[in-house]
Amino acid sequence: MRIYEDLRSLQSRLSVIKSVVVGALALVVVYFWHLQVVRGKYFRELAENNRIRAVPIPAPRGPVFDRNGRVLVENRSSFNVVLSAEPHANLDTTLERVGRLIEVDEDQVRDRIDGQGPRFKSVVVKADASDEDVAVVESRRLEEPEVGVEVVPLRAYPLGTEASHVLGRVGEITDRQLAAASFTGIEPGTVVGQAGLESQYNRSLMGKDGVRRVIVNSRGVEVAEAQQESPMPGPAATLTIDVELQRAMDDAMGGRPGSAVALDPQTGEVLALTSNPAYDPNLFSVGIPPTVWQGLIKDPETPLMNRAIQGQYAPGSAFKVVMALAAHESGVITPSTSFHCPGALSIYGKTFLCWKEGGHGTLNLAQALAQSCNVFFYNVGVRLEIDRISKYANLLGLNAASGIDLPYEASGLIPSPTWKMRTQKMQWFPGETVSVSIGQGGVTVTALQMVRLAAAVGNGGRLVQPHLVKTLKNAPVPFPAPVDLGLKPSTIAAVKEGMVAVVSPGGTGWRAALPGIRVAGKTGSAQVVTHARLESDKKSHLYQPHGWFMCFAPAENPRIAIAVMVEHGTAGGQSAAPIAGQILAHFFGVPPPPATSVPEPLPVLPGRPGPRPSPAARTADE
Amino acid sequence: MAIDRRLLFNIDWGMMAAVLLLLGIGIATILSATYSGRNSGLEVKQFYWILIGLAALLVCVSVDYRRLVDQAPLLYLASIAALGYVLFLGPRIAGTRRWIVLGPVQLQPSEFVKLVAALFVAKIFAESKKDSLGIADILGPGAAVGLLAALIAAEPDLGTAFTLVPLFVTGAVLAGLRMKAVLILLAVGIVVGGLGWEFALKDYQRSRIYTFLDPSLDPRGAGYQKIQSEIAVGSGGVVGRGYKNGTQAQLGYLPARHTDFIFSVLAEENGFVGVVVVLGLYLFILWRAMDTAQMARDRVGAFLAAGVAALLAFQVVYNVAMVAGLVPVKGLPLPLMSYGGSSIISSLLAVGLILNVRMRRFAN
Repeated sequence: MRIYEDLRSLQSRLSVIKSVVVGALALVVVYFWHLQVVRGKYFRELAENNRIRAVPIPAPRGPVFDRNGRVLVENRSSFNVVLSAEPHANLDTTLERVGRLIEVDEDQVRDRIDGQGPRFKSVVVKADASDEDVAVVESRRLEEPEVGVEVVPLRAYPLGTEASHVLGRVGEITDRQLAAASFTGIEPGTVVGQAGLESQYNRSLMGKDGVRRVIVNSRGVEVAEAQQESPMPGPAATLTIDVELQRAMDDAMGGRPGSAVALDPQTGEVLALTSNPAYDPNLFSVGIPPTVWQGLIKDPETPLMNRAIQGQYAPGSAFKVVMALAAHESGVITPSTSFHCPGALSIYGKTFLCWKEGGHGTLNLAQALAQSCNVFFYNVGVRLEIDRISKYANLLGLNAASGIDLPYEASGLIPSPTWKMRTQKMQWFPGETVSVSIGQGGVTVTALQMVRLAAAVGNGGRLVQPHLVKTLKNAPVPFPAPVDLGLKPSTIAAVKEGMVAVVSPGGTGWRAALPGIRVAGKTGSAQVVTHARLESDKKSHLYQPHGWFMCFAPAENPRIAIAVMVEHGTAGGQSAAPIAGQILAHFFGVPPPPATSVPEPLPVLPGRPGPRPSPAARTADE
Repeated sequence: MAIDRRLLFNIDWGMMAAVLLLLGIGIATILSATYSGRNSGLEVKQFYWILIGLAALLVCVSVDYRRLVDQAPLLYLASIAALGYVLFLGPRIAGTRRWIVLGPVQLQPSEFVKLVAALFVAKIFAESKKDSLGIADILGPGAAVGLLAALIAAEPDLGTAFTLVPLFVTGAVLAGLRMKAVLILLAVGIVVGGLGWEFALKDYQRSRIYTFLDPSLDPRGAGYQKIQSEIAVGSGGVVGRGYKNGTQAQLGYLPARHTDFIFSVLAEENGFVGVVVVLGLYLFILWRAMDTAQMARDRVGAFLAAGVAALLAFQVVYNVAMVAGLVPVKGLPLPLMSYGGSSIISSLLAVGLILNVRMRRFAN
């Protein structure tokens, strides 16, 4: 068959190569036989007894201190009972045996295992176990080698509910966070900030986890430790909060729903911040039970919400400070300009009431602020017109988030014709301007915006940047300097004079007065339902107006500015001003003002015949 | 390029079946190797690479191998250009310059250069009309193949570079290299190896060889792969620990377990039985390849089939011996089983070249 002679020698050489290849493969097979069959047992033992596994050591997050070095957030050692069996084939029997030793939520553990994905990983059976549980588990170490105890740092908030909305809370990283860019590089199961400063400064407060390389046997039970890299604790943070003032604020609030903020009016440092109702962040550190969590997020009182920066309420008469600043600055009024208040203003075919039946008579700006006369500011508003009102409100930091270093700050709202056209496709009615003039008619603000406004009047017209963190890693945290708004000194002086009159005998905010220290402030009462509705059902707590008070002291060169908002607290002079007075008294170390927290009846507004009152009528401050 | 139906009839379907079996076993093992890790989904990618490789194989068998061998000088020049490109202009990935990046895929030219070298060796030695060769006769061809090996070694990729040696030796011996010359070459090899150890090897390469000789020198470092692979293979025992149940593989003790150490996973999970079956399949393929060389209708075919068989045989034997801890760890994939596009396509092209020679053994 073959055509070519010369292939024969080639074929014989190929036979040699063939035998070389077969020989090599045969040698390899023999060696595998040696490894797997002859020494198989030895290697099986090596595989089972000599396995190194990396166990992360969670790093404690950085501690948080108040401005005087007192502890606000720290870490405590806690014990987790863990199950290190692998694979979790005989999990049911093991769990059952563990359940006989200590109290275990078996369903929760199974959920955790199902959610974990790959096998061969230890599972937390009980987080933050008690000393008794630990003792029981340790004493059964020989019978139950799969069950072990791990020490983990747990976030602790020694103040409990105090300042909880500022400090925030921590929790295991969520699936959504795992997918987010800001959490890249963070392993599943890591504890991260979930609210407040813990969330805002999460990366800064986190340390670097360490790792323990342990040798485990086939059942995943640790046999020995091979190597350990210690975790690096997170750096400490110092806040601008003063824990003593914070406590005084919480005591003054007395748990009433609402919020209060105290600032250093010169720098914007937040000295204290309260939001009620509050929650205990310690609940979240261990891993909050689902029922408790559901209870918190479904609570109609919204305890998780930080009312001071997220609660948007009508400011009521407290807004008159904005009106006064705008009117004087734009020359619409002078300190001597006066209007007559007969108890109501009829304009644009409607009658807008003053809260005082029979009227205030003739008043100038300072008197109008002190008495919180509506008619005076109706007149001012009509002359200013809505565009100028919203321009000055925006200038004073309303209608925008302040940029405080907390997540999810709300911006409030200052209505304007362009806003109304954009959102409701409707024309602006001049009557709406009248409502806006007394802080109703769609105007909403946060307590933080109001304290910033008070600070701006107090410090001579500079808008401060509120902030909470003073130093991080021993270095000051930079914040934008206060912005000079360019207001005339005469404007500031005129409004300040009015605000001092508010906290003087005869003013609506007299309950915040202190002996020997001049306090400047403004009350506000934000209507939540129409006047008619309030009249018809006076008993309903939820129809009562929100009480506002904002102030700064000493009036000449203020060291503190405060805003207090009491939900459904009735008139601000009655509900909010005494709280501010108590906080001020603590701050200046003077006895608290007299007659605090004595409830007085709201001046009753008799029903009047005639035109139906507008929704923004009759709001009493005192 | 329609293929004669008689040629199709002569395709070695037995060998093809063994190849497909190995590809399937490879995919299953990759699935197990990446099951507990973060690289899941690689088995699907591997499947696509196999489809591309099979298409390349089809193209390869449709062209007469003699026409391919005729193009060897041109392909040789292209290889030099490609290797030069990756060496001087290519991206640096994990400390090496081995890759050409084409959009989402990375290709390793050296995998294909091996096959070009096989064509080139077949051309040179098939044209030699002497009955026996001396040292002088192989200096020229040796330098030409050596240049390719040197360029690959510089990437650095010593494993792939070294596969050219058995290829060249096979060609030279088949062409009639005298015994005396073989011995001289051996001596030169030892001297060059010694000098290379001293001057050419990088530190990591040297430490790999040291720790190969005594793994306990560095059980967490360079000796780690060898120790862990040995434990994996040995713990497999006779029948293995069960599919997806090898603790060495699943707990992440085996490095490169879906690529160079895929056979380690197979040995751990399927035991000696699995090892024998897979090595039997490789032996079958290699045997048929060398049969093909013996029954080739001309010298070119015989040299080509024998050269490709030598390439495959060396890679299989070296990789498997490496997994067993018999030889130092080198980045050398297991043909047809290791994960990797370049390796799969190149392996299937190699199979294509052998089929090509075999199916045209009767044609004139």
